[in-house]
Amino acid sequence: MTPIGSRPPSVDTTALRKVQPRFSGIESGHGACQGCGQALAARLVLEAAGPDVIVANATGCLEIFTTPWPQSAWTVPWIHSLFENAAAVAAGIEVALRAQGRTTRVLAFAGDGGTFDIGFQALSGMLERNHDVLFVCFDNEAYMNTGVQRSGSTPHGAWTNTSPAGRVRQGKRHFKKDLLAIIAAHGIPYAATASVAYPSDLRAKVRRALDVSGPSFLLLHSPCPLGWGHDSALTISVDRLAVETGLFPILEMERGHVVGSMKIRNPRPVHEYALPQFRFRHLLAETPEAREELEHLQALADANIERYGLLSDAPGPRDSGGADTVRRGGSRWG
Amino acid sequence: MGIDKERPASSVRVNAGGFALPGTSRMNHTGSWRLERPLYVTSPSPCHGACPAHEEIPVYLDHLAMDRPRQAWEALVAANPLPAVTGRVCPHPCETACHRGSYDTAVSIHSAERFLGDMALREGWPYPGLDGDQREEAVAVVGAGPSGLSCAYHLRRVGYRVTLFEALPEAGGTCRIIPDYRLPAEILSREVERILATGIDFRPGQKLGREISLEELEEGFSAVFLAPGRQKNRIYSVDHALPGDLHHGLDLLWEWRNVGSLPRWDRAVVVGGGNTAVDLARTLLRTGSREVHVVTDEELPGLPSPTGRGAMPAIAREVAMALEEGVRIHTGRRIGRLILREERVIAVELLHALKEIEGQTPVHRAFSGTETILETDAVIPAVGQEVDPAGIERLLGNRTFLSLLPTGQVEGETRIFAGGDACPGGGIVSQAVGSGHHGARRIDALLRQKTLSPESPPSPIPFTSLNLAYFEERPAYVPRERHGEARTGFSEIETTGPADEIRTEADRCFSCGHCLECDNCWTLCPDGAVLRTAGIPGIPVPYVFDYDYCKGCGLCAQECPSGHIRMSPEP
Ligand SMILES: Cc1cc2nc3c(=O)[nH]c(=O)nc-3n(C[C@H](O)[C@H](O)[C@H](O)COP(=O)(O)OP(=O)(O)OC[C@H]3O[C@@H](n4cnc5c(N)ncnc54)[C@H](O)[C@@H]3O)c2cc1C
Ligand SMILES: Cc1ncc(C[n+]2csc(CCOP(=O)(O)OP(=O)(O)O)c2C)c(N)n1
Ligand code: SF4
Ligand code: SF4
Ligand code: SF4
Ligand SMILES: [Mg+2]
Repeated sequence: MTPIGSRPPSVDTTALRKVQPRFSGIESGHGACQGCGQALAARLVLEAAGPDVIVANATGCLEIFTTPWPQSAWTVPWIHSLFENAAAVAAGIEVALRAQGRTTRVLAFAGDGGTFDIGFQALSGMLERNHDVLFVCFDNEAYMNTGVQRSGSTPHGAWTNTSPAGRVRQGKRHFKKDLLAIIAAHGIPYAATASVAYPSDLRAKVRRALDVSGPSFLLLHSPCPLGWGHDSALTISVDRLAVETGLFPILEMERGHVVGSMKIRNPRPVHEYALPQFRFRHLLAETPEAREELEHLQALADANIERYGLLSDAPGPRDSGGADTVRRGGSRWG
Repeated sequence: MGIDKERPASSVRVNAGGFALPGTSRMNHTGSWRLERPLYVTSPSPCHGACPAHEEIPVYLDHLAMDRPRQAWEALVAANPLPAVTGRVCPHPCETACHRGSYDTAVSIHSAERFLGDMALREGWPYPGLDGDQREEAVAVVGAGPSGLSCAYHLRRVGYRVTLFEALPEAGGTCRIIPDYRLPAEILSREVERILATGIDFRPGQKLGREISLEELEEGFSAVFLAPGRQKNRIYSVDHALPGDLHHGLDLLWEWRNVGSLPRWDRAVVVGGGNTAVDLARTLLRTGSREVHVVTDEELPGLPSPTGRGAMPAIAREVAMALEEGVRIHTGRRIGRLILREERVIAVELLHALKEIEGQTPVHRAFSGTETILETDAVIPAVGQEVDPAGIERLLGNRTFLSLLPTGQVEGETRIFAGGDACPGGGIVSQAVGSGHHGARRIDALLRQKTLSPESPPSPIPFTSLNLAYFEERPAYVPRERHGEARTGFSEIETTGPADEIRTEADRCFSCGHCLECDNCWTLCPDGAVLRTAGIPGIPVPYVFDYDYCKGCGLCAQECPSGHIRMSPEP
């Protein structure tokens, strides 16, 4: 066994960075937490979208950790909007570019707070006015940047600082807002959900969204080790379970109709998803209330599976067991 | 306004009016947050740990899966110069250990090994690694079975002059009597010839203890490797009453190989539970004996046996085939008495019996009052062999095998090494090959004045270190067997698989502990701290960690499918 402390002084990493066979829209040295799902998600989105893009970014973790004054992690033009208006800023940029006859694509990035809640009216307006913008919501299911407060996206039963778990309540009382149904009601050309645990699927969806003209929307599940309370190494594993339990369905919509879903090859019980996460740990207590709430969470997952027909009848290359298998010698991420 | 992303921090200019030209975030060496660092660490795979010839199985399977069969073969023969042989006859403990077996079905490693062995013979590929510096020292190897051949080959690879003494007119050792339906003689000869052609001074018909003496070898050579196998039949006695025309099983197999004919019996009883007994029984059926019985106090091998009773040492699959072919196996029986008329045996008396393993030593028990009679024309003992002491009496003392020091020498010696069947732990070809390789390494170390310390066995990567989310269940390659005629004659039963199927099978390998070059770490690092390289000399994987930015989150280690990344505390 020979440990290879893999960067002997002879390796010039700066030179190596310039010849990476992929586009990196976000540089190293950003201040995201260890194992941040959002940092990974944003890089993957830009890998598929970049380099000819402009990003309008709402206030939130992504915006904060990429721009520690006077430095920036972005290698694409990037503008910080307000918390509530990334969609409006992106719409303005898109109109200006169109007036100039330029083909640069416009992306709007926001957290779930900046999408489900405070940013929603701007988003709805952007969709309704048919702006040619891809809006990506990095869904970590709470207001993380301000210290883990519940949002309209926080799932039922999850602990946050404003939905504590105790004797009276078992975390958040309300349900995760069905944002996709509201997006669907706008009848936009393309909308989808994706997960960092399935990067190939994610990138294919970014490319598909940019292939259509008109507004498109991507809800991108991005675990937050700090706010969800899981080990930083488990970001991908936890999100794979979000998909495999049915709690976060992977869907594609054209004009508001579900046209595709990632089938679940081996459905997992929700307690497997809950186990590594502090925000759900109270549901595993040996009390009747905890048990009931865990069953409730299971029922919500089952309802998703039923509603979208997520069970696969035969293993396939696009289901949750096949979409992410490895190929030796690279090229798996195509 | 040009933005130079490569400028150092000190050059960030704050303009009048208070706005700064941004510098790159790469000025923040966020690697300082790290408490643990990821390392690319190649760990031994379980198949490697279980392979007695110490083949680097995931390495050659990877080459094969990537359609580089020649490199695959070269990686294979870096350990084992006889892959067409072992691919056919080895009971493949590697497959029993294979982690894929705990997931769906073990990789059919022997099919890949055999495929590569055959392909190399067909294509006439020469062994790699023989063009290095030549060394002055000469080493004597005694016995041209797999152990001696392997030692000689590996010594040639490091440049020693090698003289190989063999008592018989031909090389190959005991493998030569493995019947053609399992190992065609031609395959063995071609692999053996290829080894002898590596510049080995081969001396057939030279027996230690007859033409040459140990003292002469010690005098004329810098080191000696003894691989005489076990050629002396263990004495078989049943109350000292033996027929006049007693044939030993091993001798009959040699007779079949050398003369090409065997007596035809109406009914023959073979005594023993090893490969010799089983191969002889199958050979007798194929050469015209009408009924062949095998009597052993052991149980059938390969069965889940919670009883603690000893199983037949013969290879399980071979025993199953013997039964399919009509050999009648009496397990849990012992011959209590031979019933003779004049010098000829006419029947045997069978008793219920068992072999129990108590600690290391087998205990045989038979139970009186359970006797039955089995009529027969011949009783053929195949009860095992011992080391022929001729020429090595000094080394054996009163033992029946050569006892080794942990450093590889024969006990009490400094320049005499040994391996294969003649030593404890022997018994199969791959072990003989591995022991020959080991001997060559030890001899090399000795002759380079290196100190000899025992080699520690590899500790294979645990199953739990793999991330199975990245693999899918896939049907395994099942070796095809010939039926009908092949089961009554001597043409080979198992066939070599077709290239595309074997390549697909090789691709089922998880690459336990080795990098698959799957790009997972490069793709999934949230900090962009894994960089892909086009290959850097001295770094075996095409990736490097950029520790200036790695925060030590552990995600890459968690998501590495094959367990090639390990987190280790910051130095
Ligand atoms: C019938 C049968 C079937 C078998 N089937 C299998 C099988 O399917 N799979 C498997 O893995 N193993 C099998 N084996 C076991 C396998 O053949 C042996 O484990 C292996 O050949 C041992 O290799 P070795 O080099 O130690 O000894 P050997 O192969 O026995 O070679 C020793 C050589 O040394 C020579 N020699 C001995 N003494 C002297 C001397 N004094 N001077 C010079 N030369 C000498 C001998 O002539 C011989 O050529 C089988 C064995 C038998 C008998
Ligand atoms: C109008 C307004 N209200 C409140 C804030 C404070 N604030 C900044 S980021 C943030 C939460 C962001 O949550 P989310 O959009 O989910 O992004 P995350 O940090 O979780 O990625 C809040 C409340 C603000 N910047 N502007
Ligand atoms: S999966 Fe491959 S590396 Fe792992 S034990 Fe099996 S053959 Fe060996
Ligand atoms: S994923 Fe990146 S930051 Fe995390 S331990 Fe691996 S190299 Fe370091
Ligand atoms: S994740 Fe893939 S590429 Fe990275 S070390 Fe593991 S096997 Fe190799
Ligand atoms: Mg959020």
